[in-house]
Amino acid sequence: MHRAHLKRYRRAWLLMAGIIGAALLLTAFGYFGSDTWTTLGIAVLHTTYRLALAYGIALVLGVSVALLVGWSRFAEMLFPLFDVLQNIPSFALIPLFIYFFGFTSEMIIFFAVSSIIWPILFAVLTAIKSAHADLNDAATIFGARGLRRIRYYLAPLSFPAILTGSIVGIAIGWEAVIGAEIITNVAGFGEFIKAASVSGISPSMLAGTFAILVIVFTLNRMVWAPLLAESSRRYAE
Amino acid sequence: MIASTDTALVLSRICASFTDDEKDIPILKDVSFSIPAGAFVSIIGPSGAGKSTLMRVILGLMPHTSGEIVRNFSRPAMVFQNYALFPWLSALDNVAFGLHMDGRGRKERERIAREKLKEVGLAHLESHYPAALSGGQRQRVGLARALAIYPELLIMDEPGSNLDTITAEELKADLLKIWRSYGMTILMVNHLIPDVIELSDQVIVIGARPGRVEKTLVVDLPRPRETRSPQFFKHVDQLTEAIRAVS
Repeated sequence: MHRAHLKRYRRAWLLMAGIIGAALLLTAFGYFGSDTWTTLGIAVLHTTYRLALAYGIALVLGVSVALLVGWSRFAEMLFPLFDVLQNIPSFALIPLFIYFFGFTSEMIIFFAVSSIIWPILFAVLTAIKSAHADLNDAATIFGARGLRRIRYYLAPLSFPAILTGSIVGIAIGWEAVIGAEIITNVAGFGEFIKAASVSGISPSMLAGTFAILVIVFTLNRMVWAPLLAESSRRYAE
Repeated sequence: MIASTDTALVLSRICASFTDDEKDIPILKDVSFSIPAGAFVSIIGPSGAGKSTLMRVILGLMPHTSGEIVRNFSRPAMVFQNYALFPWLSALDNVAFGLHMDGRGRKERERIAREKLKEVGLAHLESHYPAALSGGQRQRVGLARALAIYPELLIMDEPGSNLDTITAEELKADLLKIWRSYGMTILMVNHLIPDVIELSDQVIVIGARPGRVEKTLVVDLPRPRETRSPQFFKHVDQLTEAIRAVS
């Protein structure tokens, strides 16, 4: 099991090294235009900044709401309501966001929050709902009552769920931010590849795709994989 | 029923039920018994007899539909069948949890927690997380967590049933030692007839569907108990008979 994981891990690194190597070769042979990289860099920075901010807001909001609802007696009542809200296709709400915020960076950020928040909220609510009855009893008997139940019991209990919810949320977040940029033409990575792909596959478009691949891969391997490994080691039954 | 100071717990005609699809399913029916302070009392009965529900009602974790409970203890603690340790806390922090919730400072609660871990023979594993401990070790951490708040009533729900025989025997011996030195009241759910006779002052036999008290047996053998004596086997037979009548 562990060895299989290592193997997969190594294969992922190899694949990534291959992609970077190929890109470097293409760069060396002058495939990518000279001005592509600064434009691309700025576009990627815009998009990453929006995603980071949207994720931060969605994390704080989603976890707080889920903890409060899970702690209260209304969890059973609110669950179906959240389920309906979650099922609204998020891009259908874009006109609403544009109406309130215009064609701005803020609009994209708030739109992304509305997509990222659901997987986080549901992961935490489900974790609280499906916690072992004995563990709930132990927390109560040993004094985790009232509001401190949230801090000392529900929050640490939800840690693995916050992690998996974040991974799914960020994946959806990339889509939301880039998609919104493509739709609204607000400067960013989405707008960059849209412009670059107008005349078919261009070097700029390839460079852009490659850049986002590297960011996603690095985030996954450097942040989420170690956190997941730690969480599954500690929270194992 | 009137509870005197030397009675830890009195239950009179306790009923409890679950609501499922608008239907009330009775779990406990007219359960009455009293437990003297400082006694070791065991509850035995077939599965599905509502023993866990009874524990939860006694601890106030679940409402009962009718009847009266007199709780003559200030702090209850519980040891669980499947340990119920907090996986995100080290053994030491698990043991210190109740003290932490009581608002004790870090230094004080860690000192007490270390003491309790030592009492259950796990001083060397204080920084381990539950996932890294064996079943027997987890159960000892669970016991230390309960002892750390100096409970007046200790409830144990089949603490040995997930352990191998040797580990369960060791736990039983330690439990008797701890009970003697702390002087608390112990209420234990147990399936093993010889263990029940060896440990208890009083045995409550519960029948199933709905859970009710079928028989109360007093075990007045002198302690430490000789588990090979004819009197011991006589009690084992008596209890076996009582349980046969129930199932």
